[in-house]
Amino acid sequence: MARVRDIAQARNVKAGSVTPAMKRLADLGLITYERREYIELTPEGERAARRVLSRHQILTSFLSEVLMMSKESAEVDACAMEHHISDEAMDRMVRFFEFMRSCPDTEPGFLQRFHSCSTVNAELPECPHKCDLRKSRGAEKKPLLSIADLKPGESGRVRQINTSGAIRQRLLDMGVLPDVVVRIERVAPSGDPVWIKLHGYQLSLRMNEARSVLISDAV
Amino acid sequence: MAKPKPIRVALAGQPNAGKTSLFNGLTGAHQHVANYPGVTVEKREGHYEHDGISYDLLDLPGTYSLSSFSPEERVAQDELLTSPPEVTVVVVDSTTLERSLIFLVQIIQLGANPVLALNMADEAERSGLRLDVERMQGLLGFPVVETVGNRAMGMVALREAVARAAASPVQENRLVLGERMDRALEAVVAALPGADADAPGTGTGAGNRWTAVKLLMADPLFTDRMKEAREAGRAALEVARIQREKLEADTGLDIALFVSERYYGFVDGLLKEVTRHASRQNARAVSDRIDRVLTNRVFGIPFFMVAMFSVFWLTFTVGEIPMGWIEAGFEALGGWIGGMWPKGSESPLRSLLVDGVIGGVGGVVIFLPNIVLLFGGLALLEDTGYMARAAFLVDSVMHRFGLHGKSFLPMMTGFGCTVPGIMGTRILESERDRLTTMLVLPLMSCGARLPIWMLLIPAFFPAPWRAPALWLIYALGIVVALGLAKLLRRSILAGEEAPFVMELPPYRLPTLRGTLTKMGERSWIYMKKAGTIILAVSLLMWFATAYPKPSTYQLDKDIKAGKIVVLKSAQAKSAQTKSARARAPKGTRVVTAAEAKNLRRAEELRQSAAGHIGRGLEPLIRPMGFDWKIGTALVGAFAAKEVFVSQMGIVYSLGEVDEKSKGLRSTLARDYSPLVGISLMIFLLIATPCMATVAITRRESGSWKWALLQFVGLTVIAYVLSMLVFQIGSLFV
Repeated sequence: MARVRDIAQARNVKAGSVTPAMKRLADLGLITYERREYIELTPEGERAARRVLSRHQILTSFLSEVLMMSKESAEVDACAMEHHISDEAMDRMVRFFEFMRSCPDTEPGFLQRFHSCSTVNAELPECPHKCDLRKSRGAEKKPLLSIADLKPGESGRVRQINTSGAIRQRLLDMGVLPDVVVRIERVAPSGDPVWIKLHGYQLSLRMNEARSVLISDAV
Repeated sequence: MAKPKPIRVALAGQPNAGKTSLFNGLTGAHQHVANYPGVTVEKREGHYEHDGISYDLLDLPGTYSLSSFSPEERVAQDELLTSPPEVTVVVVDSTTLERSLIFLVQIIQLGANPVLALNMADEAERSGLRLDVERMQGLLGFPVVETVGNRAMGMVALREAVARAAASPVQENRLVLGERMDRALEAVVAALPGADADAPGTGTGAGNRWTAVKLLMADPLFTDRMKEAREAGRAALEVARIQREKLEADTGLDIALFVSERYYGFVDGLLKEVTRHASRQNARAVSDRIDRVLTNRVFGIPFFMVAMFSVFWLTFTVGEIPMGWIEAGFEALGGWIGGMWPKGSESPLRSLLVDGVIGGVGGVVIFLPNIVLLFGGLALLEDTGYMARAAFLVDSVMHRFGLHGKSFLPMMTGFGCTVPGIMGTRILESERDRLTTMLVLPLMSCGARLPIWMLLIPAFFPAPWRAPALWLIYALGIVVALGLAKLLRRSILAGEEAPFVMELPPYRLPTLRGTLTKMGERSWIYMKKAGTIILAVSLLMWFATAYPKPSTYQLDKDIKAGKIVVLKSAQAKSAQTKSARARAPKGTRVVTAAEAKNLRRAEELRQSAAGHIGRGLEPLIRPMGFDWKIGTALVGAFAAKEVFVSQMGIVYSLGEVDEKSKGLRSTLARDYSPLVGISLMIFLLIATPCMATVAITRRESGSWKWALLQFVGLTVIAYVLSMLVFQIGSLFV
């Protein structure tokens, strides 16, 4: 049993946005809800809640244990997925997961090999086996550098401007566009801002903005 | 015959393209010019005649593009849309054509009738760039002229080009931005509400097309305006959204990037067509070499400190010399005017002229050499381009205190005068940055406070300590300003920061004309202030200190009662006086005639309006070590800071007739301890920004709330600090 206020507190939202949601749930017959009363789950509502909860737990374990996501991001993504995934996909995933857990994985097992593959986890030492996967992903794997990674005297070709709104517009207006070569002239005494040169004129950028200008290669 | 209406011409361009010097070159008017992006903030108007036709020239604020992210961009855009000028002169920096011409593209797209001024043509030529101006003109379909603004070259050609453009406005739009973009724009234009009405911004033709561009780009300002147009506006927004999503899906670029690429594509194509000889040498080779030293990681900051210190040293040490001449001049003038009355005359008119007018205004004019030198130094730093480097060097410090590297510039201007400094905060894009800078700006010790330091520092500090003391008072202002800025950004002005994307123009040799113009203009503003506000306030203060006269004097009563005996002799140390003193009965004071006169004056001052105000304030200001005389002057300082000096002069010249020749400084040194001097300087530095500052803060922030917060906040801080200094200091002295 809970009140609108408790729900608002638990979800960290305003009571005003809880009320309409409650009305919708009541319309669906999942809860009993009258204004200013305690809210209770109907039997049907309880079944639905349990379904969501168990889906959530399965999805979280799958994302973190099998796909090796961090616990926190797994939680977030599971939240996003649990309401939208179809019953069939969910069912198949559960079966796959149960299989992974119960069927003994002989050394070096399939899952273990997956987890120790360097194309899956970039922090691992390079895999000595030359497989197709490595060939096809190897080139893309190199992460893009940003202007902030360059040292004075180095240049790079702009690939992407990874920011939005006023900052992005200003950078574009100043000619920081894809394919333009940018050179770091110098940095301020404290290391921030940086002084860049492009098209024959010079600009200063804070590290924060410099980090959003991604470059493909040092020229 | 009726005089034809003048032709309206607007000057538009990116910051630092030299618009302002072209404005001066065209009109002959003097205006603030600086080698720094964002100096022209105000809308300025001028006038010139050519071939018997008169032209009204409007200087638009410099903006990098016509988006709506900063107040300047909005001003420029609105001006061009709501009252379209007949001709728009687009000024571009020829050394950075790739970027500068982007602005021209936007002006063309906006539907203006342009003339292109390729400014700084000499610099571009030196770097080896040769353009086919004829061909450029042919391709663009409107006049193109090469100019050198700071040397006023190409002005006649530019005037002729404007006349040609006014006579035969551009007919067709030769902007080629690609079919995709054109189709999308047409679709949005067709969906605009009242596509057949000609309300500005939503009307037919040019304004419509520009609105479409802005809606396509989801510009917040235009989007909001559309929303106001209700149903029809929403429909247009919907079409714009669909077109935008289609473009983004087709090209794989987001809209801002897509449009920018179209613009750059057009400019690239144009430049390929008209470049006869590309620039080979690095035009900035020398500039870059200078920067290697001046903005060096190690030497950058020390050099910056030295540069700032030199300006103050120049102001103080060199300024002393002509100050002496002016002082002597005013003394002679006072003596000459005073001499027109018989000796010992008590004429109120004589006192008004000598003590009120000459004393008050003279006390302020004396500091003109300092003002001229300070403004000269700042003008040099600006015109050479060093100011932008300074912003680069200090940004991390400013940033740490919640300010923007660019805040540094209005703050530097604030050393000249707080009012233009506050106006200059418009170069800041974020409202929060602007307000923070504005609120702490009065802490930058302005030119009007310089006379105060010039009066007080020599009075209380021995010669070798004077320059460091001046430096320290400026430094204290900066420290308090930074601390306060941090506090503001942590409390009422908390929020996100604006981008720091600033252009660093090459070093340029300042032209003598430019620097002198700027120096002269700013000094003239100071003199004008001396001639108007300060004269008026001086007169008011003189009346307030001279009237009302007491009806009966305590002195007369005391003489009658035998408590005071007045001697005929004026010599306090003469044998006669001494013997008279020795003979006097207990409880009776023996004074000379001169001393009696002083007593009488002091009594008059106490009873005057100013005396009443000062004495009313005395209990309040006592904890800081101030007496009622200082209190009277503080009231005057609110009108204009430098009035403090003239007011002290009036208070003391009336009270101490015989001490006049000794000068105000020695009188102050005699009457107040150095501790009071320090406390007073701190109070004057921080407290109560002047009337003009309060008014401009109200105007620029848009509400009395901020102006009052600034006024009350600073005064309270000053009070607490001065009191602490005086009270703690008193324990040790």
